[in-house]
Amino acid sequence: MAILEIKNVSKFFGGLAANSDVSFSVEEGMIMGLIGPNGAGKTTLFNCITGYYPPSKGEILFDGRRMNGLDPDKVCMLGMVRTWQKVRPLAKLSVVDNVMVGALARTSSLKIARELAMEQIKVVRMEHRADFIAGGLPIGERKKLEVARALATQPKLLLLDEVMGGLNPAESEEIIQLILDIKKRGLTQMVIEHDMKAIMRISDRIVVLTSGEKLTEGSPQEVVSNPDVISAYLGEAHA
Amino acid sequence: MNKTILMPIVVLVVLGGLLAIPKFVDSPYALHMMILLFMSVMMGQSWNILGGYAGQHSVGHAAYFGVGAYTTMMLMHTKQIAPWYGVWAGIALVVVVALIIGSICFRLRGPYFVLASIAVAEILRLSAINLTTLTNGAEGILATELPAFKIGGNIITDFATKVPFYYIGLFLVALTIAVTYVVQHSKLGYFFQAIREDQDAAHSLGISISLYKNIALVISAVLTSLAGSFYGIYVGFVDPPTVLGLDVSVQIMLICIIGGMGTLWGPVLGSLVLVPLSEALRSNMITEALVKVGMVNAESKIGIFLKENLSHAHVLLYGILVVVVILFMPDGLMGFIKKLAKRRKQEAV
Repeated sequence: MAILEIKNVSKFFGGLAANSDVSFSVEEGMIMGLIGPNGAGKTTLFNCITGYYPPSKGEILFDGRRMNGLDPDKVCMLGMVRTWQKVRPLAKLSVVDNVMVGALARTSSLKIARELAMEQIKVVRMEHRADFIAGGLPIGERKKLEVARALATQPKLLLLDEVMGGLNPAESEEIIQLILDIKKRGLTQMVIEHDMKAIMRISDRIVVLTSGEKLTEGSPQEVVSNPDVISAYLGEAHA
Repeated sequence: MNKTILMPIVVLVVLGGLLAIPKFVDSPYALHMMILLFMSVMMGQSWNILGGYAGQHSVGHAAYFGVGAYTTMMLMHTKQIAPWYGVWAGIALVVVVALIIGSICFRLRGPYFVLASIAVAEILRLSAINLTTLTNGAEGILATELPAFKIGGNIITDFATKVPFYYIGLFLVALTIAVTYVVQHSKLGYFFQAIREDQDAAHSLGISISLYKNIALVISAVLTSLAGSFYGIYVGFVDPPTVLGLDVSVQIMLICIIGGMGTLWGPVLGSLVLVPLSEALRSNMITEALVKVGMVNAESKIGIFLKENLSHAHVLLYGILVVVVILFMPDGLMGFIKKLAKRRKQEAV
């Protein structure tokens, strides 16, 4: 069953079409990869899906419900949560307090929220950092904190915007394992990623965007062997 | 010693001491200073909820202070309604004003919100000057005769001395700090701080930004209005510049900035510094002290110069102090103390 359906979504900024007529759907339990060169409109699409921008045209259906024009907080309460390409820790709060903010979306009790938060902190293996101030963490741990905080809102669909960006290979590997762990628990994920090797390993399906349009969609193998994709990434000569 | 045990004990001891003060001190001046201190803590702490925790730096808190003060005073003056009833009208009106301001100004972020908050307070100040039939305009409202406070026919107090005001002030301060404590240790506190740290991130985590900003504003405004009402009945006089002026808003904010924003005890520390300091500067105590310790001869040129000018320069000196604190203690006194404590802890390790 499709948990998320993107139907002919376009987003214009003045005359510029950041997304035009993009359609695809995400099946429950899968990992959907979203790739494309810089400026292809991946993050804009995330912003449209999660309520930061209203789409100019088209429809976004989550769990069969029309999401257009809903505010980000409503989107989160309905079960869709995102992380940020440029990490946004609540810098002056401790790691556990950061994750508690996410958990408080589902409970009003601080005690329960703290327990839920500690669970998610364990999932990203940051127990030893629980009482650290988030602003002082290195980038790899900030990225993991983003994931833990998002998980604490108990989503049905997790949208990860370049969680591996800026990480070293060892840290990336840790994130890959984390994403696969999350999949095992049955959570649907949509992942924007630049690291082709990583996205090929984790994705069940991949959508390729270029210049705001959907270029193709398919299994990782189909996508890498598609000459259009190769030319979009490397130029015509390599296709 | 364990901090969680130590803290309530310290608070109870201090509270007990404060309750006992009027029994031992009968100097009206000392009680007056304590009442000013209470008022300052209330004002700073009220602002702290919106500015310190939720990160919305209102420079228009005079609006709520003034509306509270004016409503209570106007009802007492024209309708002979006792202030302990009038204060509720003040609160109701302030909630309305706050929600109007909130629904307009919270669409704006950062400096734009600051400008809008100033504008709203200025509108109210100008209205108070010009709506002369309602507010008596620039002349202000003088109402020094408080009715006696009775419970079941027994007169509890007739407000002849400063003692009843002292206890009212103490009660209101305790209330304000208690409210802040409860907010800080609840979902609200977490959401306010999340909004302060990163509004977009908070929004993505299911926090309705406009709802929680307005909640912070209403709590803050109601407490500020209580402080305003208390000011009105204590001083017995309100006019537009003293309760609605921009410098009132700035004063409210400074208590917090100097003490430490977003901390429970910051406004208390800020008040402990600012109230005695401004009083000392204003009443020329510093010149007297310098003369007393023999640093300055009262008859010399410098002595006469200081005596004549230092009290006028109090605003200037106050400003210099603020600049120094902001430069060297960007997180206020609380931040400075925490930093020192951390350093000592590290040295101990």
